Amino acid sequence: MSYRAPVADIRFVLNELAGLNEVGALPGYEDVNPELADAILEEAAKLAENVIAPLNKVGDQHGNKLSDGIVTTAPGFKSAYQQFSENGWVSLRTPTEFGGQGMPALIAMATEEMWCAANVAFSLCPLLTLGAFEALEHHASDELKATYLPKMASGEWTGTMNLTEPQAGSDLAQVRAKAVPVGDGTYKISGQKIFITWGEHDMVENIVHLVLARLPDAPAGVKGISLFVVPKYLVNADGSLGERNDVSCVSLEHKLGIHASPTCVMSYGDKGGAIGYLVGEAHRGLGYMFTMMNQARLGVGIEGMAIAERAYQQAVAYAKDRVQSRELGSDNPAPAAIIKHADIRRMLMTMKSQIEAQRALTYYAGAALDRAARHPDAAEKQKWQAVVNFLIPIVKGWNTEQVNEITSLGVQIHGGMGFIEETGAAQHLRDARITAIYEGTTGIQAMDLVGRKTASEQGRTARALLAEVEAVAAQLKTQGLAEVGDALDAALVHARASTDFVVGQFEAQPKAVAAGSVPFLKLMGIVLGGWQLGRAALVAKQKLADGDADSAFLEAKLITARFFAVHLLPQVGGLSAAILHGADTVLALPEEAF
Amino acid sequence: MSILVIAEHDNGSLKAATLNTVTAAQKIGGDIHVLVAGHNAAAAAQAAAQIAGVAKVLLADAAHLGHQLAENVTPVVVELARGYSHVLAPATTHGKNLLPRVAALLDVAQISDVIAVESADTFVRPIYAGNVIATVQSSDAIKLMTVRTTAFDAAATGGSATVESIGAGSDAGKSSFVSQELTKSSRPELGAAKIIVSGGRALASSEQFHGVLEPLADKLGAAIGASRAAVDAGYAPNDYQVGQTGKIVAPQLYLAVGISGAIQHLAGMKDSKVIVAINKDEEAPIFQVADYGLVADLFTAVPELIAELNK
Amino acid sequence: MKILVAVKRVVDYNVKVRCKTDGSDVDVANVKMSMNPFDEIAVEEAVRLKEAGKASEIVVASLGVKQCEETLRTALAMGADRAIHVETDTELQPLAVAKLLKALADKEQPQLVILGKQAIDDDANQTGQMLAALMNAPQGTFASKVELAGDKVNVTREIDGGLETVSLSLPAIVTTDLRLNEPRYVKLPNIMAAKKKPLDKTTPAELGVDAAPRLKTLKVAEPPVRKAGIKVASVAELVAKLKNEAKVI
Ligand SMILES: Cc1cc2nc3c(=O)[nH]c(=O)nc-3n(C[C@H](O)[C@H](O)[C@H](O)COP(=O)(O)OP(=O)(O)OC[C@H]3O[C@@H](n4cnc5c(N)ncnc54)[C@H](O)[C@@H]3O)c2cc1C
Ligand SMILES: Cc1cc2nc3c(=O)[nH]c(=O)nc-3n(C[C@H](O)[C@H](O)[C@H](O)COP(=O)(O)OP(=O)(O)OC[C@H]3O[C@@H](n4cnc5c(N)ncnc54)[C@H](O)[C@@H]3O)c2cc1C
Repeated sequence: MSYRAPVADIRFVLNELAGLNEVGALPGYEDVNPELADAILEEAAKLAENVIAPLNKVGDQHGNKLSDGIVTTAPGFKSAYQQFSENGWVSLRTPTEFGGQGMPALIAMATEEMWCAANVAFSLCPLLTLGAFEALEHHASDELKATYLPKMASGEWTGTMNLTEPQAGSDLAQVRAKAVPVGDGTYKISGQKIFITWGEHDMVENIVHLVLARLPDAPAGVKGISLFVVPKYLVNADGSLGERNDVSCVSLEHKLGIHASPTCVMSYGDKGGAIGYLVGEAHRGLGYMFTMMNQARLGVGIEGMAIAERAYQQAVAYAKDRVQSRELGSDNPAPAAIIKHADIRRMLMTMKSQIEAQRALTYYAGAALDRAARHPDAAEKQKWQAVVNFLIPIVKGWNTEQVNEITSLGVQIHGGMGFIEETGAAQHLRDARITAIYEGTTGIQAMDLVGRKTASEQGRTARALLAEVEAVAAQLKTQGLAEVGDALDAALVHARASTDFVVGQFEAQPKAVAAGSVPFLKLMGIVLGGWQLGRAALVAKQKLADGDADSAFLEAKLITARFFAVHLLPQVGGLSAAILHGADTVLALPEEAF
Repeated sequence: MSILVIAEHDNGSLKAATLNTVTAAQKIGGDIHVLVAGHNAAAAAQAAAQIAGVAKVLLADAAHLGHQLAENVTPVVVELARGYSHVLAPATTHGKNLLPRVAALLDVAQISDVIAVESADTFVRPIYAGNVIATVQSSDAIKLMTVRTTAFDAAATGGSATVESIGAGSDAGKSSFVSQELTKSSRPELGAAKIIVSGGRALASSEQFHGVLEPLADKLGAAIGASRAAVDAGYAPNDYQVGQTGKIVAPQLYLAVGISGAIQHLAGMKDSKVIVAINKDEEAPIFQVADYGLVADLFTAVPELIAELNK
Repeated sequence: MKILVAVKRVVDYNVKVRCKTDGSDVDVANVKMSMNPFDEIAVEEAVRLKEAGKASEIVVASLGVKQCEETLRTALAMGADRAIHVETDTELQPLAVAKLLKALADKEQPQLVILGKQAIDDDANQTGQMLAALMNAPQGTFASKVELAGDKVNVTREIDGGLETVSLSLPAIVTTDLRLNEPRYVKLPNIMAAKKKPLDKTTPAELGVDAAPRLKTLKVAEPPVRKAGIKVASVAELVAKLKNEAKVI
């Protein structure tokens, strides 16, 4: 089933909800405006639909092959990647000084949605390159930057993130990989890294690994980890490629999904040590990693939303095509397309409304990221940074948890055909599953949300955002959209009570707060998603009153907001009950009883 | 009213498209003249004279008209056109190449691909790749149009119009013919084919699949497709598969031979213009979508079909 | 050598258009619009000629509503050097377009004008031929190959039943067929660069052209849906039906 980039909806969100014009007013983004965004979206859509999306199934079926340390990607991937990088898409948001396009995150995210929906396994390669790029851009020496960044921005070299080790996953304090100074400023790196996405492949000539490792004198725990650049091929002074470094892929994982993305076991120093270069200062590696973590986590949130969109499109097509059973209440005795059946509609609306809510919230966070980075006013900058910080675990956690439900509904709409691999609906379900795991599991996101992002700032940002929700609810009620406004008000009561609980109890009973942390994350996702759909409804209402010609699109916005208000927002009550009163039963059963 | 029809010919013979165009002219009504512009084209002119309903054939014969280059034929038509209420050409590549050039010099609009005549000034034509049918009216003094030949029957022959030689103008000197290459008769590609002959599990072996279907496909200039069952059984290669998980096709004519018509197969071909099914089971679901169904054993029906087409 | 390329903004080829309920016209409100695919091929061909050092400047022109600017920007991003937008809200039919392009050609004096063989909305297949007539220039329509050779251009044309190659003296008009080339995907930096390339505006009145439509659309309708099929009794009947009723063989 082919993919059509939802350009109209993306455009609506960028222009009407996320504030593309405000982003365009930030210093350095003078060229950014809705017309430029449109031109970029249209071109990205073409490439995503025609070049990258057709490889999704091929990649799933074919996977990657490892032989003699060489990873061969699925047919078509190499040339698609070349086209992708030669056309400049890797560097959309990287700064112009290293050959990038210097576009805001907001616009870049919109294109990233398309790559992810078209082919999430493919999209991970440029995504990780971007992550590695950023870590270097912010923390590496000028010399390292000059050597690596232009080639990474152009896509000629790709990048990886080597954090995880067999004993160190969520808990990176346990990293053991070693780095020993050689004496000439370089280091010899040794150890094993696992689960390294696109750690080895045949699409480009060089791969730039960012590796977390410990120096001999390092203190234990998180404060003793340093970050190194370890290229697959060493780079000569003139920029040409030199010797092969002592790093290799020794195994590929067999996975539930994203088959086309090689997940590698990387071995460093089998022949005495891979040459590495220290990024920034010693022992500060983990902190540096967190610089790019924000964008990477938003990136995974986009993956979740994007795969959901793809599954939704496929489900709609099937629901219109598949004829089964007569329509209830119709005079026509003939069997009807299943989209006529109420339960199929319920499933489609559940998919659609959450996807639109997520898209709006995700891009809102993206614009906040841009504002935090560039706003000329220090207070505004700080305010937006707090908003980004708060939204990141929600976008990452909520989008990726819900994509499991949404892709599962996609399968359900297909009936038995959904369970059959040839149909393609199952691939989305399998591909989506990793998104709630990597870049920090939902559990880790939720702990981040209740701890650092809520309790430790006394719930300031949470309450500020909830106040905005309240303002929108009030407007909705004056605009004849009371159904949505009232539902938001009702949800706000629960959201505030839960926030008070998190803030009030975090010190006293951290475990009780932790027990409700994922429900709290979901609660926030639903309330803030409902807020965005409420905003969308207000815009739609206004445009309809102004006589905007696209009435079908705008009416759909109103209906979608109403559906979300009636079907999703009430869930907040249940989640809140679990947060406030549920810890007890979570922890009551003794460990031996499991 | 008098109507000029521009003949489609290769000097030696008249192309059938001319006959359909004459029928369209008859629907408009009026004296019908046919222009044959070419070189050593007397034979084509004679053939045109035999079309029933044609009053006169005009023959412009000169070396520079030999390849019917638009630059050289246009002045001849422009010169003549002022004496007519309508000028028609078939919507072939030749007609489409020539007529707009004439229209511009006459400062009139041209109506492309006419599929029906409503009146002397109102015509029906497809737009948006046939997804919409438009009825258009022309207010120009001379109405120029190309005619979709499949929409009009061929005019009868048996007439005996006079052939009149007319001035052939001169070589415009702007273009010249270099070469021509006629298409080899190899089978068209599935996605682009106008006709597809598709076989199912009933063919029962690779030898029979190819042995039975290929002669029919060659006869029709058709591409060959297959059901998944036929592909899975190894009777036909993978890229022949039509259906939900194969290729989606929409040819003018889709001949399903020994295919039951499973929903997954239909998904790939239900937008075909005309569907023909040959199946020995009269209850086979394929008959629910087929425009023409033949309940028969394919191993006798297909050879019969070839024989009938050869008649 | 200067090349003029005409590009039209049309309903995207993926969109299945519907008629308005009153049958007055097709409903194109808010449907996705794109550059006519044949015109994309025309731009691509011009850019390739320039990249091969055979052309020095590519001017693209689009005629119609304000949003044609977007189509022109796309052409600029593909590699055209500058753009001209003839802005008008009147419905433009092929003859009017040919006259407007003729007026532009008089100013620009291109040696080659490349157009799509037809636009996928009105499917007219006329403009290039009409322009050639008005310019008194030769035409290579339905081109699948274009080769410049001195003051001539050799064009291989897709004709019924095969290919024909003609040699045209310059200036000449070429209209593109699908197999001429495969248009490139635009490079991202070129999208940005396109914003800075010159885009001039003019109007039919400024060009002194009467662009009023000549043909009136009385109504539009969607074609009838497939009617229930029949069973035929014999192979002979089948062939007769296919020949005389369905007219597909
Ligand atoms: C396909 C794939 C690609 C990957 N790509 C990369 C890559 O490119 N680079 C890289 O470095 N890593 C990569 N990873 C590793 C990934 O980031 C880790 O798998 C992830 O961080 C979880 O770590 P873990 O697997 O060790 O699980 P664990 O940390 O063992 O977690 C197991 C469970 O315990 C929970 N848990 C752990 N700690 C806590 C806590 N404090 N409170 C509550 N719950 C907790 C988790 O939520 C989870 O449910 C990849 C993994 C996969 C599967
Ligand atoms: C996930 C999935 C995806 C699928 N995708 C596709 C797809 O893309 N394309 C596809 O085609 N199928 C697809 N299928 C398979 C589909 O459901 C059918 O199984 C398949 O189309 C049947 O092929 P058939 O009609 O050739 O075989 P059958 O169903 O076995 O039909 C053979 C027909 O031939 C007739 N017959 C037998 N002998 C003769 C004779 N001598 N003369 C005349 N008629 C005769 C029989 O009456 C019967 O109707 C898919 C199935 C699934 C589950």
